[in-house]
Amino acid sequence: MAYKTIVVDDIDILVVGAGLSGTGAAWEARYWGQDKKIVIAEKANIYRSGAVAMGLYAINCYMGTRFGENNPEDHVRYARNDLMGMVREDLLFDMARHVDSTVHQFEEWGLPIMRDPETGTYQREGKWQIMIHGESYKPIVAMAAMKSADKVYNRICVTHLLMDEAKENRVAGAVGFNVRTGDFYVFRSKTVIVTAGGASMIYKPRSTGEGAGRVWYAPWSSGSAYGLLIQAGAKMTQMENRIVLARFKDGYGPVGAYFLHLKTYTQNGLGEEYESHWYDELKKMVGEYIDHHPVPTCLRNHALIREVLAGRGPIHMVTMHSFQDPHLEEVGWHNFLGMTVGQAVLWASTDLDPKCENPELTTSEPYVMGSHATACGAWCSGPEDVSPPEYFWGYNRMTTVHGLFGAGDACGGTPHAFSSGSFTEGRLAAKAACQYIDDGKAEGIVVSDRQIEELREKIYKPLENYKIWNNEVVAGDVNPTILYPKQGLIRMQKIMDEYCGGVSMQYMTNEKLLNIGLKKLAILREDMEMLAARDLHELLRCWELHHRVLTSEAVMHHTLFRKETRWPGYYYRGDHLYLDDENWHVLTVSRRDPKTGEWTMEKAPLYHIVGDVEEEYQKKKAAKS
Amino acid sequence: MFITSNPFAGLAQFGITPGMMQIFVILAIIAVVAGILLDVAHKKSAKYFFEHTERMKKLATRQLSSSEKTSMLVQVILNEVLTSSEFHNPKRRIAHLLKMYGFIIFVVSSAVLIFFYPTEQYAGFWGLMWRVGAIMLAVGGWWFFTKLRVDVLSEGKKWYKLARADMFIVSLLGVSTFGLLWCFFQGVVGSTALALLFFALFLISAVVLFGGVYWSKFGHMFFKPAAAYQKRILMADGSRENLPPFYKRAEVLDQSTMDLVRDIPADQKFGLCIMKDEPNHY
Amino acid sequence: MPTFVYMTRCDGCGYCVDICPSDIMHIDTTWRRAYNIEPDMCWECYSCVKACPMHAIDVRGYADFCPLGHAVRVHRDEEEGIIAWRIKFRSGRIKDLVAPITTKPWGKYIPDLKQVPAPTKEQRESQLLFNEPKYIRLDDGDLYTLESQGLKMRQGVYY
Repeated sequence: MAYKTIVVDDIDILVVGAGLSGTGAAWEARYWGQDKKIVIAEKANIYRSGAVAMGLYAINCYMGTRFGENNPEDHVRYARNDLMGMVREDLLFDMARHVDSTVHQFEEWGLPIMRDPETGTYQREGKWQIMIHGESYKPIVAMAAMKSADKVYNRICVTHLLMDEAKENRVAGAVGFNVRTGDFYVFRSKTVIVTAGGASMIYKPRSTGEGAGRVWYAPWSSGSAYGLLIQAGAKMTQMENRIVLARFKDGYGPVGAYFLHLKTYTQNGLGEEYESHWYDELKKMVGEYIDHHPVPTCLRNHALIREVLAGRGPIHMVTMHSFQDPHLEEVGWHNFLGMTVGQAVLWASTDLDPKCENPELTTSEPYVMGSHATACGAWCSGPEDVSPPEYFWGYNRMTTVHGLFGAGDACGGTPHAFSSGSFTEGRLAAKAACQYIDDGKAEGIVVSDRQIEELREKIYKPLENYKIWNNEVVAGDVNPTILYPKQGLIRMQKIMDEYCGGVSMQYMTNEKLLNIGLKKLAILREDMEMLAARDLHELLRCWELHHRVLTSEAVMHHTLFRKETRWPGYYYRGDHLYLDDENWHVLTVSRRDPKTGEWTMEKAPLYHIVGDVEEEYQKKKAAKS
Repeated sequence: MFITSNPFAGLAQFGITPGMMQIFVILAIIAVVAGILLDVAHKKSAKYFFEHTERMKKLATRQLSSSEKTSMLVQVILNEVLTSSEFHNPKRRIAHLLKMYGFIIFVVSSAVLIFFYPTEQYAGFWGLMWRVGAIMLAVGGWWFFTKLRVDVLSEGKKWYKLARADMFIVSLLGVSTFGLLWCFFQGVVGSTALALLFFALFLISAVVLFGGVYWSKFGHMFFKPAAAYQKRILMADGSRENLPPFYKRAEVLDQSTMDLVRDIPADQKFGLCIMKDEPNHY
Repeated sequence: MPTFVYMTRCDGCGYCVDICPSDIMHIDTTWRRAYNIEPDMCWECYSCVKACPMHAIDVRGYADFCPLGHAVRVHRDEEEGIIAWRIKFRSGRIKDLVAPITTKPWGKYIPDLKQVPAPTKEQRESQLLFNEPKYIRLDDGDLYTLESQGLKMRQGVYY
């Protein structure tokens, strides 16, 4: 193959994926490493890449300590409550105490953040959310990253990380290919910050035609955050904690502003409030967690799912009251146009006027990610001044692989970071990465030509497979020897759907199903040796699929390991249908041995921030009993 | 004068008579017209065009007077047609103007030479114009073909990778480049074989150029102005192809969404962000 | 099919190819104009629609659930710093909306961190990020810590 090999040498900090956390990492790295070589490798075009490519209408993580609104520990309590206790509170506290400085800088750069006309404070959508005109959110932060980075390599699909051959378990850079020219890129770097995306399209979607593109999380979020780290042997955490979203049906338009700011509410097909119907059942399943405020997202999902199964669907979002106010109506439309245009397209096409008709809600297929109301990701070190010993190994946001950092979707245990928190995590990782280099931890890295050559051959194999085996058939996609990436994707989605609690199983699975699923995934991975790509676009899809399948494997293993139903409404272990704090008030941690492909699982202790609120709560609880 | 020589006069030595050349020109014109008509009829593109226009008319918020329509036609001719104003990328606009005027000059001077000076060794102004046209076409063409063509610029493909869409540009490059080479070698003693070779390539290019209209992008010369005119009409009659008005900030400051920017001077421009770069981020 | 390109409007400039986050806007080999090669990987994110200088790209809602006869079209103007939308419902009803997309000239107020004074050793050893602690609250207060908030980390405590 005539593709050139382009070696980018002597990089200090390589940022893989330039979404919100990647742009944050690249930007901040320049301050702590003014003479360092900072390079970004981005799969698309940095101006519009990552989950914020479309824009956002709200920044969902802003403390507002400046306005006396919330403190970082309040956010920790909020997030752990929403995740049924399972979060890394050290990482969350750390993100929350820095996030406001990120947002204030966004405003300074020109991001239009709405103000409350009366108080002059940021316009709140809810307790944590502030409203923005964020159509150009991504281009604005992209410009910041471009200003800091020595070079941005756009359209580079990073497929693998390079590993040091001098010292075990130390990163040495990354490799990938240019989706346009096809050239092979070798990035030799002292540190790598993986800020790639979480995983959409892991599960069979509800819409299986064109509408498959209208996923809740971006279709280009290909699980590379996990695929790259798992391949490198980094430990992962909470990968069972996939998320299911209750959203406007089909369009998956956001509901946050609708609930919080526009004061719309839900009702069942009979026009009744329905969440209370499921209180007793949930009380049995999760105990006192159902009494928490706000009610955890997964439990509200559970009520929605059960209500529909009880035959009292559809669930409606009652917009007809609020939308009589023309100002609120306008906010409702801007909300969609600013971040989920497809929902506006859907309402336009179906002539739905939310003033006159209440739109339907549904629960989505599951997604695997770590920055929204869920916490999948790598097992990362916390900050020195907050983290207990089990959570600290030297450098903030460093994974269990030396020199390899994670932020955003890649960093596990930090839900509710959203855009601003992800950018902040990128900043934290960047500072730590500079420190790591300055401490001399990245000396003497060795990467042999053999490692690079082997990866090169592996990367282009799908093109080779196609060239050779396409001769077997007259025409068409059906070939007994090779598999196209779309075919592999659909097979993976079906396995995940049917064996790991997808939407057609009403999110139900059990040990037997999971074991079958794992077997099927292993066979899929065998077949993927014969993945075929007709062109560079399909080669991109092949590697996205590799990352997605590795993510799926992790999800399966974690789901199998956690023998309880911690998040009813996200998924159910039919053989362990109850929350089990006795045995499972812990974080799950996995590692896939890069050499053997064997997975090992372990439990990690869960630390909670203890402050007056908790103590009061404990007292109350004691008094009650 | 060498630079005013008439390349067609030299064809006699290959046994090509003026009559044959003139017939070729006439056939070429017929081929172009036939290609366009076949295209329009077979693809029903004209039918689509008019039905689409009718449908859009229903969305019109105002009736255009015939003088407005005439003025728009003039605008289209002055802007889109004569100065290629629709191009966003200034380099492509310059290349397009070079190609377009080069092609016109080249074709017209070829026809003049063939019909009025078929046997004269030197053709003065028209001989010179033939070269000017060919050079303009070749310069604009090669610039476009190797650098500006979207397959190269944005898709990152090698300039020599060809697709059917390149039939038109490649045949233009052929007539201009091979034409110039053929002309050059006519003047070099002992290069008859080379002159013949390049003439043959020139001839093949011309056959593809004029004979391949149905399959190539040749037709855009006729379709694009029509589409440009239609676009102007639709933007003026209020149907706007469903596009929102292209407001200036100052016009919408009364909207509640604009609170944050109300105090910014109305004439302040923010510059460019994504659109400041050429579309080749890879 | 999510995004599509009007034949008579596209001039093959490449902005959509360049911007698409999903790598699905590509150039047709017959007409050298753009089209969506993989509609079921299109998020309707409108990145290409907004970047098209010719307004040649439009969206037809997903065939799975969107009836025909609608339009959601947009004009994004970086110089003016605004975005204008027009929603045309199937019934023909029209709704126009407009919003700002920036409050400052693009990129002008983003500091070049190579040029700012380098961080001190204390700053390096602290938990502070660039511009902190000032930018946390825009006052003289310090970064929050467990101590400052009267907190402890304790293993396995229920709440």
